[in-house]
Amino acid sequence: MDQLQHQNRVTFPGLDSDQGSVRGQVERKSSMANQTVKPKIVERDEIVRVSNLGKSFGTHKVLEGINLTVRSGEVLAIIGPSGSGKSTLLRCLNQLEPQTEGIITLAGITLDAAKPASKKQLNDLRRAAGMVFQSFNLFPHLTVLQNVSLPQQRVLGRTKADADTRSRALLERVGLANKADHYPVRCSGGQQQRIAIARALALDPKIMLFDEPTSALDPELGLEVLAVMKELAEAGMTMIVVTHEMHFAETVSNRVMIMADGRVLEEGPSASVMRDPQTERAKRFLQAVRNR
Amino acid sequence: MDLINFWLENLPTMIDGLIVSLQVTGAALVVGIPLGLLLALGVQAKTKAVRFSSMAFVEIGRGAPALIMLQFAYFGLPQAGISLSSFAAAAVALAWTTSAYTSEIIRAGLEAVPHGQQEAAVAVGFTRIDALRFIIVPQGLRVAAPALLGFSILMLQATSLCFAIALPELLSQAYMIGTNTFQYLPILLFAGLLYASICVPATIAVSLLERSLSKHSA
Ligand SMILES: Nc1ncnc2c1ncn2[C@@H]1O[C@H](COP(=O)(O)OP(=O)(O)OP(=O)(O)O)[C@@H](O)[C@H]1O
Ligand SMILES: [Mg+2]
Repeated sequence: MDQLQHQNRVTFPGLDSDQGSVRGQVERKSSMANQTVKPKIVERDEIVRVSNLGKSFGTHKVLEGINLTVRSGEVLAIIGPSGSGKSTLLRCLNQLEPQTEGIITLAGITLDAAKPASKKQLNDLRRAAGMVFQSFNLFPHLTVLQNVSLPQQRVLGRTKADADTRSRALLERVGLANKADHYPVRCSGGQQQRIAIARALALDPKIMLFDEPTSALDPELGLEVLAVMKELAEAGMTMIVVTHEMHFAETVSNRVMIMADGRVLEEGPSASVMRDPQTERAKRFLQAVRNR
Repeated sequence: MDLINFWLENLPTMIDGLIVSLQVTGAALVVGIPLGLLLALGVQAKTKAVRFSSMAFVEIGRGAPALIMLQFAYFGLPQAGISLSSFAAAAVALAWTTSAYTSEIIRAGLEAVPHGQQEAAVAVGFTRIDALRFIIVPQGLRVAAPALLGFSILMLQATSLCFAIALPELLSQAYMIGTNTFQYLPILLFAGLLYASICVPATIAVSLLERSLSKHSA
């Protein structure tokens, strides 16, 4: 069993020594067998730093004064009431929405609201950040395998054979090897979301952004997606997860951020934020979701 | 019986005409539909020059009746020093009309592709061109396919207008036989049947296509 899990971990591409390796993993790897890394504490790389971020749609201010740091290997859960700006924050991070104020640094790429981002910056940014949407957004005219392979070929310049091999391995990891040649419509929502995760992972991202990945799913189907995400987190992937799953926020993420009205209410280690929120607003929010 | 014999007698001439009709239709579609795709993208282009010239091209093609486009290409262009055979003139004029109308059909198809597809394409790092080529256009064309086929059927029928520029297509042939034999009604009926022999199966194909496409999409 232990052996099996170990295998599971190391086969997620992009999380291993060859490329995309992250220093923060050193601590974890050091505990594993046959790793020759010295067991010393290493300061983890910052993957994301957001300073004084603001976003307005016209005159409608949606985000204001957001500061945030995410280090390599961390899993940050973002929770908060509907309309608080969680999705918008995530979409700013990969510039699906450019911020109107402040600075974002992601995987060494710095985007300042004051200067328009260059094409190269945007390309690098999107390579570094994998995105998983609430509504999956698989490409319905492509087979499952093509969904995972085509971006690798076009964006990373991998050959079809290489991309297909990696895709099949990833589909195997998310438990969907048998669906490779099907079209997405023939897959359940949970399966589609796992394919979407594989599609993003195939590009060896430095960080994965999830926007309510289970909200469109029946609870049982949500569980299979959460299981994949948990495994990914355990493998050392840096993740920001907007979620309504309090259990996930409490148990899988290291840190939790509570947002309301476009601002950060509270942010800190998940255990303390979830169990002992400081602000009245956060207390009410957590109360409300727990009572649901 | 007389009618059947009369039809059989004139079958070779009529088939020749039908072939010309199909050839003109084919030429108009082969040139017009890809051009329609370019125009559909052109009218949404960021560059003003591209956008406005695409819009002008589309508006002329949709605004001017096909008959006028045909006469312009056949009688008008020679005055500008460009002489076209009646076939070439027909192909040019109908390709223009086709591109103008199909650009609207294709634009609607592209717009029907859910916004999440564009976002997912951007998020996986596709360039604008790649997103169009691999994600948006294939899906948009699928949406547009039934309407495009329907338009193609109308185009085959519209080739009968080439009668006006002395192209020996199906209606011209029928008319010629009518003038020689004074059997206008029977020969026009025959022409109608020959058009229908193509258009009715094609129409059925359109509805089958519509059904299979709606089954396949998300
Ligand atoms: N493209 C847009 N144009 C205008 N307003 C927008 C746009 N996108 C989001 N908003 C507004 O920004 C605010 C925050 O929206 P956002 O989707 O980020 O909230 P959320 O926290 O993700 O909510 P939910 O939990 O419902 O997903 C909302 O008031 C929303 O109406
Ligand atoms: Mg949201």
